[in-house]
Formats: sequence, structure tokens, C-alpha cells
Amino acid sequence: MTWLTPTLATIAAAIAVPTLLLLYFLKLRRRDVEVSTTLLWKRAIQDLQANAPFQRIRRNILLILQLIVLGAALAALGQPQTRGDTQVGSRHIILIDRSASMQTRDEEGTPPVSRLDAARKQALALVESLREPTILQKDRADQAMVISFDASARVVQNFTSDKGLLRAAINAIEPADTPTSIALAIQLAKAQSPTRMHVDRDGSVTRVEGLTEGPTSVIHVWTDGRIADVAEANPGPGEQIVFNRVGKPETGNVALVGLRSERAFDLPARLSVYAGIESTEPADRALDVELLLDGQVAMIRPVTLPAARTAIGADPARPVTPSVGGVVFTLEREQGALAQVRLRTAGGDLADDPLDVDNRAWLVVPPAKRLAVALVTRDNLFLKTALEGMPLARLTVLTPAQYQAAIALGKSADHDVVILDAWAPPLDPARAPIQGALPPTGLPPGRFLVLGAVPGGADGYQLVEREPTGAQSLLDWRRDHPVLRGLLLDAVAIAQARAVAPAEGAGVAVIASADHGPAMLEVADERSRALVVTFVPTDSNWPLNWSFIVFLAQAVTYLGDDQAITGAGQTPRLVQPGEIIRDRVPPGVPEVEVTTPAGLTHKVQPAADGQVVFGPITTVGPYRLAWSGPAETPAARLFAANLLDSAESDVAASAELALATAAVGATTAQATLDRKLWPWLILAALGLLMIEWFVYNRKVHV
Amino acid sequence: MLRTPPQPRPQSLDDLLDSALIAHIDRLDLASRRVFTGKLRGERRSKRRGQSVEFADHRQYGEGDDIRHIDWNIYGRLDRLFVKLFLEEEDLALHLVLDCSESHDTGQPGKFLFMQKAAMALGYVGLVNLNRVAATAMGPREGSIWSAIRDLRGRRRLHELAQWICSLQPRGAFSFRQAAQRIALARRGRGVMVLFSDCFFKEGFEAGLKLLVGRGFDLFVVQVLSPQEVNPPLTGDLRLKDVEDADQAEVTISAPLLKRYKANLAAYAAELGLFCARREINLITVQSDLPVETLLLDFMRKRGLLT
Repeated sequence: MTWLTPTLATIAAAIAVPTLLLLYFLKLRRRDVEVSTTLLWKRAIQDLQANAPFQRIRRNILLILQLIVLGAALAALGQPQTRGDTQVGSRHIILIDRSASMQTRDEEGTPPVSRLDAARKQALALVESLREPTILQKDRADQAMVISFDASARVVQNFTSDKGLLRAAINAIEPADTPTSIALAIQLAKAQSPTRMHVDRDGSVTRVEGLTEGPTSVIHVWTDGRIADVAEANPGPGEQIVFNRVGKPETGNVALVGLRSERAFDLPARLSVYAGIESTEPADRALDVELLLDGQVAMIRPVTLPAARTAIGADPARPVTPSVGGVVFTLEREQGALAQVRLRTAGGDLADDPLDVDNRAWLVVPPAKRLAVALVTRDNLFLKTALEGMPLARLTVLTPAQYQAAIALGKSADHDVVILDAWAPPLDPARAPIQGALPPTGLPPGRFLVLGAVPGGADGYQLVEREPTGAQSLLDWRRDHPVLRGLLLDAVAIAQARAVAPAEGAGVAVIASADHGPAMLEVADERSRALVVTFVPTDSNWPLNWSFIVFLAQAVTYLGDDQAITGAGQTPRLVQPGEIIRDRVPPGVPEVEVTTPAGLTHKVQPAADGQVVFGPITTVGPYRLAWSGPAETPAARLFAANLLDSAESDVAASAELALATAAVGATTAQATLDRKLWPWLILAALGLLMIEWFVYNRKVHV
Repeated sequence: MLRTPPQPRPQSLDDLLDSALIAHIDRLDLASRRVFTGKLRGERRSKRRGQSVEFADHRQYGEGDDIRHIDWNIYGRLDRLFVKLFLEEEDLALHLVLDCSESHDTGQPGKFLFMQKAAMALGYVGLVNLNRVAATAMGPREGSIWSAIRDLRGRRRLHELAQWICSLQPRGAFSFRQAAQRIALARRGRGVMVLFSDCFFKEGFEAGLKLLVGRGFDLFVVQVLSPQEVNPPLTGDLRLKDVEDADQAEVTISAPLLKRYKANLAAYAAELGLFCARREINLITVQSDLPVETLLLDFMRKRGLLT
């Protein structure tokens, strides 16, 4: 047992106890009463004294009770507590994993409690056991901070000794459907220790980065150990890590780990949806995989996954090799849809599966579409032949004069994609650049692939033309851009090309560069959108390369799919919780409304070039971005957020955390807690006070 | 127990006896347990054991009894002392004795006023029935006798008696033994003696009562207690002061103490009762809130003092 403030209690006792005794020994001030005779009273007093051997004690029972009450109160003032032995150090960092696997319900309870709930409970118990500030010494209290981590990390509560704040912070940690990353959390924890200061001989002080000093912190981590980047976590040298494992190592799970849709190249109405499933359960598992299109069940496929195998000598972090299965849904559907795939048992819900979040996934299926393409060329055999081989709805070959006439008639948007071969339409004086506004592309409304020409070209437009350049080759290109994906352009030699400079701040993306400047660019304004290639293909050896055909097809598909305009060039409209939703809306849209799967709406202001960023998102499900712009009718786009993470869905709790510096074994049992005794003492004092009152009343009243 | 709040003391017969009480007691007459053959013939026969030839009864020998009356035959048989009682013939006198110590100036209603009224009512019965009435007040004076009045007879002496009773005031302390001795010595003839007192004598009641009963008086003791003495309305830490001798007792009133006090009071009354029974003294213990007619019509009638 420890006394936190023994001095205070001693001082108080030294004052209070003699005072109480003094008060007792002061002579009672008695009231005078005349009676007919004292004869009987004196006899009564004598009798009482004669009959009660403990009369002295009885007369002083009140004093004794009061002394006990005082003693209890004084002992409480000393703040005694029984102390567990794991509390070392006065600074504690509480790291709580809130990733998807922490939603696994395999902790003790009926119904089973989720790992996050168990972690919160244990963390609250730790908070309770922290030393509190004593009455005289406020700085003797233990301090703790709370960090929650999922795909990223966040300080929920900075260092404090206020247990109320810590409790509130821990209770406020909500689960997220994300993969796990601990490195950032450890880094955040490390950052809390002050940097070591080095004092030179001349008195100057320098901070030594990477080295810390001051009281070392104990980092308490509550996690199931399913952490992808655990090997990158690098705690500071003095920091002690306590790995409180939640969850059971034998827990198995079935999960969707992949989802993809595809339309047949020649039959765009035929839609195929592929779903990949993994199981870490120790027994065979029969499942029904359901496909829902726009909320209606469209197809059910049964599948049986074999039991997961436990390999000898396997990776200790993943001793169980999950069994893999998959289903393919093939159906005729021309329209786009929001597809959902979910795992069910034959009878109904997958209620016995410990982790629910990976049993369903969403997918945005674009509509089947054949594109109408216009080729504006004087006569380009390569282009015409290549486009004729593509499954297009319509291919119109126009001369520049014919196309200019169509523009004049306002029919420029009749085609999904217009390919301009070595020609750019003349600038529209009605849409001259305005100072201070977003520079226009200099193109009429529509989507364009411009080859060997520079739309706009003059100052004030998005692209400004420079002097032509000579022979060169392609040096670098963005391999992750949908248009250039899978292409090898090393062999492309260019005889001559236009030289262009993108205007500052116009949001022009350079997707390929040659020796003397950009070779391919992507431009957009509120009406038009274009891929610009600065050289005419026939001025290079490109048309003889197979990559030219693939580029044409990908460019036509990319421009024609009017919704697939994610500027960053990611897999369109499929995100994982923990990431951010990034999209591009037509410039000029003032506000985008994001609706989350829970039905909450958030307003997001797009950047000047139409970039919209939302997140990082924490829950799986469909997200809807809706806007109404000046030049377009109200439009909306859907994003599907899915876990689809094999590592996160393998929910077996791991036995150790293999950090970069050391492997930390799990401690599952909660350490002995401090038990404060002073509330009990106060309670006892109150009870005694009531007894004292009762005794006093019995003495006084008949 | 607590001192009686100051209030007007009775000034005349009317203050002591109201007409309703007179109407109730007018038909009463004194009786004695012995044949009455006094110098002055009364209006009834009285049965009283005493010195005569007619045997009446036996009773246990008590200290102070005339050893000439011990029945030696019974002693021979039972080895215990008994005295023979004889029917005595004597004239009937009524002797009222009032305890005027200051302890009677307590209680609510006051003990002394009750004693005055009871004595007056009894005196009234005696006077109107042509008995010889004498009265003595014990008090702190020479020989512990405050004042005395004697040889009253007949209705016209009523006012004289009333005046005397009204002149009495409870004062100080005195020796009961000394007073009893004086009364016993001064007494002439025999009769009924009624003693009004609370019987709280620190020196003890035994010696005094023995003296009073020893000379053949038919003794009635009316012990008057106030309701406050029976159930003390006290709480807290007190210094109790004896009104007579300023004796002090420091007490902290508690349930056990009160219980003990009541037990002592009961024991004291029982002791007094036993003492009286042994000596054929009639003891009547009353509270001062008892109506005087109840004392006369009920209690004294049952004990045979009044018929």
C-alpha cells in the first residue's frame, strides 16, 4: 500500500486530533435545574456507575466514534492505494488500433464483443490505474496521451493527467473500415518526447534530431497485430512498448478480396463481374455470393471454399495460408449500375462470421457504350485505318472545312470524340480569354484528341505555342495514366514537333515529355476537354509501332467515357477506406455535395481547375458526388469504397509485433490495477458518523 | 420536580374548597378501624385495635411495639414474635400533619396546593361530623414544627382551619424525626392521623413514621408526588439543584439514567409501602394532578378512612 500524501495527513492529524480531545476535556456547560430532591438522582447515578463496569468507555463512546471518524478521514487525506507493479514511468502513450480487423467480434461476451470494444475497455482500465495528482503535488500525476491509428494515425488526446479527458478520448474512438498502418502512429508517439539538446562549448544550443531526452514514455499498443507496415515502425531508443493483444489467434474469417467488372470488347452489353474470395477458416465453407444491381438481387452463385491450410515453416506473421476462391457473374446489361456483391450463407446472413465489413463490396459499373467518333483530317490513311478497325458506333471522316461548318451550325458535340489531325479550329472571338479567369482551351465544346496542332496557342490560352523544334525522342511518360497504360514508347522517334508551354495555374497535365518539352498534354475547361499530342504521328515512326493503335483505342475510350475523368489516373472510382476520394469536376462548378454511405452529406469546394478532394474516408460503401455546374445539367458520380484487403481480412491475432527495432510479445492479461482506498475510508467515515448520530440520539432522547 | 411557577396562593376557604367539592364530600364521615369510646361521643362506632380486653387480631411484631402485648404462646409454637391486637375504645380525633418543606413547592400542578386542598377537604369532613380536629405543619422552625392548631370541633371552626392552612408556605428543610417526636409527645388522646408529604426525607422516613405510629394512632400517609417526578421531562447535560438544601447532582440525561431513576422511584415507593404495611400504616401514593374528590371519595373510602 502506498500513501500519496502522508505529510499532509500527518499535519492534519497533528492539528485535528488534539483539538477534538481538547474539546472533549473542556468542562461541559451544564444547565441548572431545580428539583424537589436529588435523592433519587444520586442513587440512579451511583447505580449506573456501579452496574456498568465499562461506564467510562460508555460515557466516551461518542468520543471514540468521533476519533475513528476523524482517523478514517485523515487516512483518506493521505490518499492510500494498493499499487500494481507494472506502472513504470510517468508518461504513457495509448495507441489504439481502429482498423477494419478490430471490428472482429471474437472477444469474450454474449454476443461476442468487438476487439475495439475490448481494447477500449482495457485502455480505460489503464487510465483508471494512473496516478492522480495529489492535493499538494499536482506534478506527481501520471500523464497519458491517446493516439488512434488505422491507415493513418491521429492524436485523439494530447498528454494530460485529466482522466475525464482521457476517458472521453478513448470512448470517442470509432471503428474505421481501413487497413492498418502503425508506423505513423509510432512516429507520432516518438515526436512527443522532446528532442535532445546539445550544448556546445561556446554555449550555443543545438537540437539533435532523432535523439530524444526527458522522461521515457511507455507506449501501450492495443491491436490484433494485423498490421501491414509493422516492420517499418521504429520506436525511439528509450521507449518501452507494451503490446496488448486483443482478439484470438485462431479466429477465421471469410472475405471478399477482389472485385472487378468488365464488358466484352465486341459485345459491350455483356457484363462480367469477378469476385475474389478468401477464407482463413479451419473448415470448408459453403457460401452464397449475391450480386445486387442498384439494390436488387440480380444473381446468386454458390461457392465452397476449402479449409485454410496451416503450413509448416510458413511466415510466422501469417501462419495460415488462406484458401482462395472466386465467382464470375455474367449477365446482359447495357445500362450502368451500382453493383454490390455480398457473401451470405445458404440460409441467410453470415451471422457467424466475426468480421462483417469485408463481406460486402460495391462496384460502379459504367454503361455499355459505343462511341461516335469524328476524324477531322485532310487525308491520313494511318488514322482512318486504325479507327475503322475499332468497334465504334459511328466513324465520320470530315475535312476541316466540313467540321468548321458543323461548328457554325452548333453541331460540334454530335460526336463523342473528335480527332483533329494536324489542324486546330480557329479561335472563337466570343470566347476570348478573360483576365483573371481560368484560361480556355480554345476549342469548341466537346472532347478532342488533337494530333500535331496546338489549340489556343496564343497568350491567355491554356497552351501557348513556341518555335517548332527538331528531331527528338520521348523521354518520359506517365505509365499510370489510363491513356498510356501498358505502352512502351522508347522506340518512338519524332522528326519534328510543336513546342508548347502550358499556362501557369491552368491545371494542364503533362503526361509525356520529349527532349525539348511536353509531348503529350491533357487540357480541360468547362466546355471542352482534350488530349494534345504535339507532333503529327506521320512525322514520327510511331504509326508503325503497335503502341500507336493501343494509344488511339485507349484515348478514344478515355475521352469517350465522360465519367472517367480522374485526373490522377487511378483506377477510376474504386477507393479503399483510408484513402481520399479525388475527382475532377468541370471547372466553374461552385460546390460539390458528397453523400456518404451513412447518408450524411458534406459540401466540398472544388479547386480552380475542378479538383475535388474528400476524405480520407473511413467506411466502406458507395459515395456519391453531385454537383450542378454553369454549363452542365446536374450530374453525379458514384465512388465505391471497399476494403478488399487480403491481409486485413486475415483476422487471426498475431503473437508478436515484429517492429523494426525489436519484436514485442503479446501481453493479453491486464496488469494488476491500482486500487484507491481513500473513497472506502470516506465511506467508512460517513457510516460511522451515522452510527455516532444514532448513539447520540439514543443517549439524549428517551 | 420542577419548581412550581409563581401563582396566587389560596387566601380563604373558598380558594381551597369549591362548592362542587363540598357537595361531593358533604355526606362523608370519618371512620376508624377501632371502637370509639372517647370522652366526647361521636356519631358512630369505630373499629380500632388497641388496648382493650377484646381481642381482635394478631400481627407481626415490629420494633417499637409494646412488648407486653407479645403473644408468647404463638412464640412458643412458631418461634416468631406476634403481638396481640385488642379492640380499643377511645374518642376519635383527626390529626392532619402537613409537610411544609420547600420540596413541596414544586410540580405542575403544585404538590403543596394539592396538599392544602386535600387537608382542607379532610378537615371539613371532620369538622362537620363533630370530630375533634387538630393540624400540625412541619417546617424549619424550633423543633421542626412550623405551626399547629388544635381542638377544633364543629362547622363554625371551618374558617379558622382554612385560615391556618392558607397561612402555610413551603419553606426550607427540617428534620422529620424531630418533628414526628414533637407531634407524638404533644398528642393527647388517640385518633386518626393523616400525614401529607412526598416522603422524600434524606434522613429516612423510618424513624419519623415509627414515632408517629407508636402511640397508637391510626396513621394514614398520603404521599404526594408531582407528575414531573414520575416522568422527568429532562434532556441534556444538567446540574440538578435540590431546592431544600442546595445539594447538587451533575447528570447527563440518557435513556439508561432515566430508566434507573424510574426504577429507583418505584423501589423507594415499594420500600415505603412495605414499611407501612408492616406497621399497619395506610399508605396512599397520589400524583398532584389527581382531583381531590377522587382522593377522598375513592382512595380514602377504600382504605376505610371515610365512609
